[in-house]
Amino acid sequence: MRKIYALTLVVVALALVALSVGATSVDSVWAQIFTPNFQSSDVSDQILWQIRAPRILGAIILGIILAVAGVLAQGSTNNPLADPAFLGTTAGAALGVVIGVLTNAVNIASLGAIGWAACGALLSTLLTFWLARNALQLIIIGIAVSATLTAIVGIAITVADRSDVRSVTFWSFGSLSLLTWSSVAVIAVVALPVLVSARILAPQLDLLSLGDAAVRHSGRDPQRIRLIAFLIFSIAIATAVSQVGTISFLALAAPHIARFLVGPSHRHLVAAAAIIGALILLVADTAARSIAPPQDLPIGLLISLIGAPVLILALKRGGVQWR
Amino acid sequence: MALIFLNNVTISRGNYRVIENLSLEIKEGTITAIVGANGSGKSTLIGAIAGDHPLDEGSISINGLNLKDLSLGEQSRLRSVVSQEQFFWLAFTVRQVIEMGQLYENLSRVESVVSQLGIAAIVDQSVLTLSGGQLQRVAIARALVCDTPIYLFDEPLASQDKKSRADLISLFGTMRDQGKTIVVVMHSEVSDLDWCDQIIQDLT
Repeated sequence: MRKIYALTLVVVALALVALSVGATSVDSVWAQIFTPNFQSSDVSDQILWQIRAPRILGAIILGIILAVAGVLAQGSTNNPLADPAFLGTTAGAALGVVIGVLTNAVNIASLGAIGWAACGALLSTLLTFWLARNALQLIIIGIAVSATLTAIVGIAITVADRSDVRSVTFWSFGSLSLLTWSSVAVIAVVALPVLVSARILAPQLDLLSLGDAAVRHSGRDPQRIRLIAFLIFSIAIATAVSQVGTISFLALAAPHIARFLVGPSHRHLVAAAAIIGALILLVADTAARSIAPPQDLPIGLLISLIGAPVLILALKRGGVQWR
Repeated sequence: MALIFLNNVTISRGNYRVIENLSLEIKEGTITAIVGANGSGKSTLIGAIAGDHPLDEGSISINGLNLKDLSLGEQSRLRSVVSQEQFFWLAFTVRQVIEMGQLYENLSRVESVVSQLGIAAIVDQSVLTLSGGQLQRVAIARALVCDTPIYLFDEPLASQDKKSRADLISLFGTMRDQGKTIVVVMHSEVSDLDWCDQIIQDLT
């Protein structure tokens, strides 16, 4: 647990650093950070508290829910390769939002859009799971389901030509540049129940790692545990996708890095992966907006650039076995 | 009265009838061995008593209750199951695995069960580092911690060395003397099963 507290402090420190860097340089930036003025119409206050701050907080919370989604996906399928992006979940969420918006049922980036995304996410995850016969097929079929749904999303938004539906790039690579305080509030409202319910489900995921027969023999229904996990991570992914588009790899990498730090027990894993997820997404997004200003690099590229070497290092240091 | 009662049980796998019209009684406080060639339905039979396989025909009752009408929770309070194969992909310790999903009141039994099975020295070791025989004993420990009236073991002696075999057989004897009912699937000659009270051979 000490490692988790230490990492939490690192996240807070990095958040302050992230506040100080960006495309526009702000005079005496540290003085302004420690004497915040949210209402001011001053340009530097606007940049700090209306543009950078929501984006930083959004990155932290999204990192948490994406990582927790990854823990639930791997734990519920007993598959170290399970990533919501490989299970059809992410593509299903994108299709859900696009259908919701194109039929004028919801506005983009609203709570209603999360609902549509969650339905799409859950249905496509269940479709993948229903079609797959074993662990390897789960990933192959998941990728096929994802590819199909992503293609439908791409065609739908190109044909529809509507300004309120975001670009194909947004649905394929994601971007945190559109985050505002109201969208951060929406994300936070979903993040808390996701985190709490994942923590409550954790002991059941431990038991599920022994296989379905062992779960049944000890008096519980493995499919019920799995369905609850699917529901929670579908809502988590739906939230991320509807607000910032598709961010892949983080959900796969964060649980493995966290297992290296705290071991396999899901009770600790949920918290550790959440912090690792927050850390990676915060660093990646800060890099995305400050490496080549005023350009915003695609967030997915930086997550891979930072997350992948860390993942490889963790697995190498952890030995050949799954931690 | 029989504790476990099978009445004209038929079970198919695909188009093939693995068990046909089988009726048998297993009395309380006995050890029953199920023997037979590979693919003769031994594991299917013990799996059926464990509630893993639907029956084509017939019925199984435990303690006078139809297995079909018992929830997973009710079944888990009547019997513990040790499958033939153990499945692990995460590096939990032996202790974590034994304590997983156990009722709170049973956790106090862990220490004595662990020493009974001779795995006290490896409780803090990762299950991914264990041999087949050790894994089997970890699975047996999980079952014994549950403290149910019935134990179903699928080939519990398969990967054990000579001494562990003898220790487990004597442990099963002690459990029977305490009134436990044990069903084991075995791969041995009938002549080696003098420690069992009943032997079941022909399942079809």
